Amino acid sequence: METKHENGWRLSLIAAALSASFAGPAWSIDLPSLGDDNSPWQVDVTYENHTVRRQNVGLAKFRNTLQAEFDKRAADGWGIHGIMRGTWDGVYRMNSSEYGKDAGGAIALENRFDGSQAGLPPPAYNPQYQTPTINYGGGFPIYGAGTGDLRNEGLRVLGDRWHPTAGGVAFGVPVRPCDVDKRGCRDFGGYGDLSMNELEMPEFNKRLDFIRELYVKKTYDLDEGKQFFLKVGKQQVVWGRTDLFRVLDVINPVDYSRNNIYDELSDIRIPMWMIQGEYRMGASETMQDRNIQVVWNFDQFRANNLGQCGSPNVILDAGCFFRGMANLWDNGGTVANFAGGVLTTDFGPHQIGIRKVHLPDWSIGNTQLGAKYEGVTAGGLSFSLNALTYRSQLPSLRSINGKGTVNPFTGGTTGNTGVAGEGPPVAGLIAFDMHFPRVNLIGGSMDFQVPEAGAAVRVEAAYTSGEEFSNTARPGLYSKNNVFRAVIGIDRPTFIPFISESSATLISAQLFYQHIFDHEYFKMPLGPVGMPDWENNFIGTLLVKGFLKNGTLSPQVIFAHDFQARATAIAPQVEWNLSNDLKITIGANYKLADGRSRWNFDDCRSCNPYAPFTQVDPSQAVGQSWGLGGMEPLGRFRAGPIGAAFREDDIFIKLNYKF
Amino acid sequence: MKKHLFATLPLFAACVAVPALAATEADVENSFNPYKSGMPSFPGLTPGMTINKANVEQFKDVLGAGVYRLIKEGQFEMKVGATTQFAISKAYVDATKANLNKAKLGAKPGELTGYVAGRPFPEEPDVKDPRAGEKLAWNYKYGVNWGDGAIISPFYWKYKNMQSGQVEKTIKYDFHFLNFMHRTKDAPVPEITPNPSGIFRAIYVKAHEPADLKNTQLLIQRFEDDNKLDDAYLYLGFQRRVRRLAQGQATDAFLGSDLMIEDFEGYNGRVSDMKWTFKGTKNVMLPMWNHNELKLASDMPAEADGFKYVDFGGQGKCFHEGTWQLRKVYVLEAAPVNTNHPVSKRVFYMDAQIGNLNGANEIYDRKGELWKVFMVGKSHADHHLPINKGAGIGVDDAFSMVDLQSRHCTTGQFKGQVDPKKNPPGLFQVQNLRGGD
Repeated sequence: METKHENGWRLSLIAAALSASFAGPAWSIDLPSLGDDNSPWQVDVTYENHTVRRQNVGLAKFRNTLQAEFDKRAADGWGIHGIMRGTWDGVYRMNSSEYGKDAGGAIALENRFDGSQAGLPPPAYNPQYQTPTINYGGGFPIYGAGTGDLRNEGLRVLGDRWHPTAGGVAFGVPVRPCDVDKRGCRDFGGYGDLSMNELEMPEFNKRLDFIRELYVKKTYDLDEGKQFFLKVGKQQVVWGRTDLFRVLDVINPVDYSRNNIYDELSDIRIPMWMIQGEYRMGASETMQDRNIQVVWNFDQFRANNLGQCGSPNVILDAGCFFRGMANLWDNGGTVANFAGGVLTTDFGPHQIGIRKVHLPDWSIGNTQLGAKYEGVTAGGLSFSLNALTYRSQLPSLRSINGKGTVNPFTGGTTGNTGVAGEGPPVAGLIAFDMHFPRVNLIGGSMDFQVPEAGAAVRVEAAYTSGEEFSNTARPGLYSKNNVFRAVIGIDRPTFIPFISESSATLISAQLFYQHIFDHEYFKMPLGPVGMPDWENNFIGTLLVKGFLKNGTLSPQVIFAHDFQARATAIAPQVEWNLSNDLKITIGANYKLADGRSRWNFDDCRSCNPYAPFTQVDPSQAVGQSWGLGGMEPLGRFRAGPIGAAFREDDIFIKLNYKF
Repeated sequence: MKKHLFATLPLFAACVAVPALAATEADVENSFNPYKSGMPSFPGLTPGMTINKANVEQFKDVLGAGVYRLIKEGQFEMKVGATTQFAISKAYVDATKANLNKAKLGAKPGELTGYVAGRPFPEEPDVKDPRAGEKLAWNYKYGVNWGDGAIISPFYWKYKNMQSGQVEKTIKYDFHFLNFMHRTKDAPVPEITPNPSGIFRAIYVKAHEPADLKNTQLLIQRFEDDNKLDDAYLYLGFQRRVRRLAQGQATDAFLGSDLMIEDFEGYNGRVSDMKWTFKGTKNVMLPMWNHNELKLASDMPAEADGFKYVDFGGQGKCFHEGTWQLRKVYVLEAAPVNTNHPVSKRVFYMDAQIGNLNGANEIYDRKGELWKVFMVGKSHADHHLPINKGAGIGVDDAFSMVDLQSRHCTTGQFKGQVDPKKNPPGLFQVQNLRGGD
């Protein structure tokens, strides 16, 4: 009943939005005039259908978006701008066995224990634990196992979409929408606890995301031609000069669930309620332009939407890791190849997993503040200097170690030998709380021409402090590291006769660089330990875009290559403007990865949280990892968004129509 | 000895003749009023008649080569009007007089010294002067064009299939023009300060329609130092980001149209980008009219003030339907210095009175074949919108850019307004592109 009620509420909301959108011309008459400026409401209504077919999956998107953008000049120089957006993605109903209420199923997890490995408890040598796979819920039980909800239905094996278990760890992940299967559902920051209706109509939520933008703005004329520009409301604030990479463009979080990294950022930035003030000083005797901008993001915190497990776009497969871990915390579950690095093991609740998500509440202290100086020198160098203090939009998992966890060997809840306070402290335990730490950023950007090359160059760089990274060399399994990121981009229009003799083909290349300071990476007896993220990494992109038939036909191809992950995405597409109002885009998205052997990393099976039970070697300290690893869970950080999307090869057709 | 003296005399005469060739006030009068002693005429050419495929040969001598070809192929018919005066603003003429002979060409193309304001070289060009073309190019750069500043709002561009007449795309723009330096009429005169980069002129463009181009903005800053590359920035509405344009993008099809940025206003580049050759003085038909006397379009969006746009007809509705008049022109050729330029040559018929370059331009491709014909029709400012009365410019009113090779065209319908209030300098700063929406 409750579901039906929610259905009705949401459908009525989207119906209101749809009717409002279709009624665009009528609005011009019916909406009240806000002031004595008689400019009418300007309303543009657009519809988009984006349909994707994915290899091995079938339909991966049938997204229908209606968007109404409206503007009005109001009294006293104020302007009003808004964008309303409503989406319905039919994939959850049309391919329900992959993404909807019938997704997933019963699973069996890999088990490398064949009885020949020594050192495991005697009951483990029972033949039932020596099979190549073990059904979910049927693993070797440790303390407390079997007390949670271990239904073997609606599950996928963690990572099965992009890699085999291959001796690493894996566990079951519930993949059905959270109104169908509540297991592992948490609000990880706008995703993770969404019902099917909320997945298929993502804008109609408590944060009123169907109000995509709504702000007022005014420019105050000051003395000497200077101006003060004010913009208040739900908005996007775009910093920086480069495409794809968010070095400075970090004020708004991003919704990767919409189409991974492949939609325009302006369509996937999550607008926030902000005040933006800009003092435009214009030229001086030495500078051609000077501006100071202050941005106060007073909205309640929003994280990047990484995509809920069981939906088509789960960047880095992170949403599945989080949900699986949350389920492990709540219900316990079966973990492949765990005990002794080989025996598929059943955990009980509150032993490992994700316990809590600490989403920052609204408070003045949790708001975010940025400042930017943007100028143009007399010589024509356009540049900005930026500073921002904000909450990380990506989560950090901090081990809670013994705080509130149940010792799987003794049943104790604090120490490691059974009674509170006894024994050495727990460290390196794969039980986490999720946090969003405060990050401080300073950076800058610039662009200039290189006449000799016929190219325009743009550069962006930022230095952050406060970011947190997985780090298995630390007892809390994370570390705070300063980071330097930079990207250089070059645009060069080039005549390529076989593409077009009258229009230049745009060649745009970018190279992104990231350096993590105080990076930790150690070779231990069983493998590397420390930070899975690369200390230094480069990602290159290349766009080649042609313009044919007076720009109505535009073929393009984008290459993106992650140098450390050795993963490549190739995205060809053709855009065809059939008329002023109708555009069709056909394209594909292929990923290649030959560096998968480089992605394995310490998975903390050998982290020794509960010495002596978990010691691999007598010399091993508590919380000291011996480096046993696999693809999960940290290989995703080495694979990056391209490598972790391996096997998500798509073909798509997109239709845009303006009413 | 005597023979030798005579032999060297012409060279000597040429050298000492420079002061003698200095422009006079009479040259200024002649430059701004070439019809003082009467309007030009051509046998058989009378106002009210039509030049078409049947009689075009008779008028070949007064037609630009590209226009002649279009009429001969039956693409359009030319309605003939009477030659009329397009008086330039008194302030600009006075500035020309006040600064007579101050402007001097430098040693290399693109160098000019001593220029203050007005028409730098008002004297009649001489085909024997190897740098006459360059002088005319300077006259254009510092010409009255849109005056000290103006706005075209709205400005409709239509991409058309010339064969079928199908309108493939309609773009609604605002175009703003502002002279930062050498201003003669609108305050502040003579320049807007501070201006440390030495921007001479800037063009700001904003697209409002269609949806995929909404809020796309273009800013071009041209510098006083002609050897300095233009700065150009493009704000893509769908990206919400400003991109600095590489130099080559000025010669690329602008947003898929038949125009490149370099085509704007007839020629939108530096003097030093071209090798200029003056080919002679002629009387040639140019599209110039009184807007209020034309039969105007009935299929365009209504304007609140009742303004109506110039209509289009001919093959594929690619040709503006205004009248053409016989004008004194300077035939000017410009060949790009950059060998990778997509154009091999531009031919301009520069109106001697107003100094514009956009009446009947021919654009030749790399192979030297006629590629496009660009025809911008001008209205007398006093016969246009009330706000333009007395502006003293030729108001660009409609354009046809016809691609003869692909049989495609882009047409433009202007609502030009000479209104300084609509062009605050802040509009021409790159921050304006990224700061608004």
